Amino acid sequence: MYKRAAMIGVLVISLAGIGLSGCKMAPPPDRQSQLIAKGRDLFFNETFAGNGRTCGTCHPAENNFTIDAAFIATLPKDNPLFVAEFNPALKENFENPALMREFGLIQENLDGFDDLKNKFVMRGVPHVLALRTSVQSPAGPRTGWSGDGAPGDGSLRSFATGAVIQHFTKTLNRVPGVDFRLPTDEELDAMEAFQLSLGRQQDLVLPLRLKGTVPKRGQAIFLDNKLGKCNLCHVNAGATANFGGGSLGNANFNTGVEDLPDQPARLTGKAVPRDDGFRSPGDRTFNVPPLVEAADSGPFFHNNAIETIEGAVAFYDGDSFNNSPAGAALKKADPRGVGIELDGTQIVAIAGFLRVINTLENIRQSIELLEASRAAAASEEKRRNLDRAIRETQDSIRVLEGGGLHPDAVAHLQEARRQTEKAARSVFFSRKHTGEAIREQKAARAFLAE
Amino acid sequence: MNVRTFLVGVVGMSALVAAGASAQEMTERFIPIGQSPGLSGKHTVIGKIQAVNARDQTVAIVAPAGAWNAKVTDRTKIWLDRSSLRQPNLKGTFADLRPGATVEVKPEGRQAGASGGPAEWIKVQVSASP
Repeated sequence: MYKRAAMIGVLVISLAGIGLSGCKMAPPPDRQSQLIAKGRDLFFNETFAGNGRTCGTCHPAENNFTIDAAFIATLPKDNPLFVAEFNPALKENFENPALMREFGLIQENLDGFDDLKNKFVMRGVPHVLALRTSVQSPAGPRTGWSGDGAPGDGSLRSFATGAVIQHFTKTLNRVPGVDFRLPTDEELDAMEAFQLSLGRQQDLVLPLRLKGTVPKRGQAIFLDNKLGKCNLCHVNAGATANFGGGSLGNANFNTGVEDLPDQPARLTGKAVPRDDGFRSPGDRTFNVPPLVEAADSGPFFHNNAIETIEGAVAFYDGDSFNNSPAGAALKKADPRGVGIELDGTQIVAIAGFLRVINTLENIRQSIELLEASRAAAASEEKRRNLDRAIRETQDSIRVLEGGGLHPDAVAHLQEARRQTEKAARSVFFSRKHTGEAIREQKAARAFLAE
Repeated sequence: MNVRTFLVGVVGMSALVAAGASAQEMTERFIPIGQSPGLSGKHTVIGKIQAVNARDQTVAIVAPAGAWNAKVTDRTKIWLDRSSLRQPNLKGTFADLRPGATVEVKPEGRQAGASGGPAEWIKVQVSASP
């Protein structure tokens, strides 16, 4: 009996030792890390005494910081996103629940709050990834779809104030101190720091040494200023423009998206006023989103008009774009008088390129999250990082499979997901599985690019 | 590609037109005097109206940092800040600018050393009657 007890004791001590060997004391967080952590907490948990929504309601981490119809369909009916469906004070003229559920569209009053029934626009929710690369512009900061999303000084820091007023209010009176409270300066600082910490911190440098035949051709077309012409407004597949005279930063263009025929939201027969874009009254321009994050964060354009990345590329081959001011200017500058003219294989090739660079970014983020999970002192932080790594890996798989690209890389990504799931479940072997997951991510990456 | 032509075409029509402040003015209306993020206390004038000139559409304001003469133009938005009454803010007019009223003025592209100029917006505090 004593022998058995002693054996159990040794076993317990050994297992504890293994467990403890997996725990590394994390260094104390620096001031910036503390600010980001505070911003993360505010972003996902603070309702600002409003209707129950948080920033994370429309920008959930588990869905690439955006929402779409498929994600919305997974939410319980009492989720604060649907506040217009259960709060009588917000039933009319706050959201359009049918358009929200079918197309992921949110109501905004960018041209004023005087005629809520008739003056509004319906917009998709842009993700908040890689903002460090996309907000700044020589003409001032650009936020939201039309670049003028923030009140005050128009900065990303001020954006939350406008969002609280537009989206968090308990009633349409929008009285501060009654229907919501405004964020404090300290809270704005923290939320800005958190948002700037998300995703890429710098632009790619194209061309990448891609391995896939079709994505490689897609990259060449993307960079060809006589064919795809994509790189003029999306330099390095980012959100800044450069026509040869230096960076214009995040610029605004009228590309004719509002002129698309058969826009999904309008096909419902519901009133969807034209969106006039930047300023009020608007000049019909919208600002340029980054493309690296595009393939897994659709639908596309400010009105969620197009569901697939192939469709979004094809838009630039259509009449709406080529007859727009931006398209007309391209035609005028082209020796053949052509705007953008692409054939089916070329459209798919560019989309394939965008799918691959999106996957490369997801792999980068997944590895970062996996490494962060190993360094995390708190189990909640570790779990959060692993959960996000699983989501990013699922996105990678979906994005490649959706384009019929790189089945060899997909197999490694599937194994990376399995190992990450095991790491999330395991108490004693989490580090081992995390290491395996990182190796699989790297193996997948090796199939995509040198 | 003739880059120069393209620059003139696209940039001239869009990017440069869009240059300058890009703040969203519509939600600004609901922000109480002194609380506009990044603006209040830095790029706005908060003070009391000393005099109103209806003919010139100007308002003289006395502020801690000095006097300011705000020109009301067709573009100027005037809002009545009723937040201290816990009531919704409203659109206002030039007639709401009365001597003694506390206001916050956002000058249009304020220049250093200037003592006045066109106003982008003016918030007028509405308090309970004494």
